[in-house]
Amino acid sequence: MTGSQTVWLYAVTRGDADSSPPAVRGVAGEDVRVLTEGPLTAVVGSVDARRFGPDVLAGHLENLDWLATAARAHDAVVAAAAARGPVVPVRLATLFSSDDGVRELLRGRRGDFQSALAAVTGRAEWGVKAYVDPDSLADSLSAPDAATVPTGQSGAGSAYLMRRRAKLAARQSAQSAAGEWAQQIHARLRPLCAASRLHPAQDPRLTGRRDWMILNAAYLVDQDRTEPFHALVRQLTEWQAGLDVELTGPWPPYSFAVPEGAQPGERHG
Amino acid sequence: MDMRARIDADPEGVERSLVALVLTLVEALRQLMERQAVRRLDAGDLTDEQIERIGSTLMALEDRMTQLRDHFGLTADDLNLDLGPLGTLLPEA
Amino acid sequence: MADGPLAARPVSLVDLLDRVLAGGVVVAGEVTLCVADIELVQISLRLLLSSVSALTAGSPAAAARTDPEVQ
Repeated sequence: MTGSQTVWLYAVTRGDADSSPPAVRGVAGEDVRVLTEGPLTAVVGSVDARRFGPDVLAGHLENLDWLATAARAHDAVVAAAAARGPVVPVRLATLFSSDDGVRELLRGRRGDFQSALAAVTGRAEWGVKAYVDPDSLADSLSAPDAATVPTGQSGAGSAYLMRRRAKLAARQSAQSAAGEWAQQIHARLRPLCAASRLHPAQDPRLTGRRDWMILNAAYLVDQDRTEPFHALVRQLTEWQAGLDVELTGPWPPYSFAVPEGAQPGERHG
Repeated sequence: MDMRARIDADPEGVERSLVALVLTLVEALRQLMERQAVRRLDAGDLTDEQIERIGSTLMALEDRMTQLRDHFGLTADDLNLDLGPLGTLLPEA
Repeated sequence: MADGPLAARPVSLVDLLDRVLAGGVVVAGEVTLCVADIELVQISLRLLLSSVSALTAGSPAAAARTDPEVQ
């Protein structure tokens, strides 16, 4: 191993899983390999330090094409590992100067990784996003006579102001209704899952959708509850006019790699 | 490229951006005034005459805004400011 | 865990980036993304909306099979 190599960490799995590395290439086109340390195995790849050092990496992160390629490659490795058993996915761009650093991590955080692996065993992550069309929602909510002009006023200006008031009020009701719907969807899905996480809504300029994203959740579902879970999501898709529900997955358990309540930015150990 | 060189290179584009900026600010004010008028309407402290006057003014302002937008080929969506972490100036859609 | 579905699902880039940037376990490697870096990435993502060609569905397995070589 030359001094110009650093080690990219993809995921952590059980030591007793299939010990041959997943047959997939990594973010730098490198062969993916594994390091076993006690009951844990790290899925890693050796990458050129000059292309993945801290300053270079910061620059890459601002390049959407680089980021997209790296994200897909990283996920491909994690998914290949997940196909063979429970995995704890590691966040993008986690690098070590040597294999020893990775081994030390596996020793030092053994308990954490083992709990996380136990929590995701036999389960997969599914993403559920719900959207409402604010206009159709407002339409269905606003009272038919919303533009009534109180007696004593008959001018065009008053009528205009009444209409604007009705429109603003309808928008307000639409927002509360949407929030209500999101809560109900989440409440109905939770009992079928081992765990759930609520994520912030995605930026509409990235999704390209003009409707409101009212729910962006991740659900950890047992293998043998997958069908009932899917059936429930399909039902929810039909539940309300103007409501759109989207299912994504199965994902490796990215959202469940960290125990609930822990800050994602915290460094442990 | 300094400001003058940029204006010289693309005078129409720059004019359009400046117009969009001005109209965005006017639109922000219009929405604020509209909300305030509705609040006062709900609070019941406007006379019929005031309601008619304020309503007419806001209606005329909205018409004028539409005319200006059309004149410069701008859509409602073009009039917004991205304030980064603070989100956008005007509500989306 | 079925290996077919996991390897072959089409994913939207936005969903993928949400997961690999804000999900996964955070460990103290020599170089890691920290919270501030993630904010930087999110702000940059908005600025880079013009290069939206990347915002199309793409199979991670297919990407890995063809050419995962980065830069």
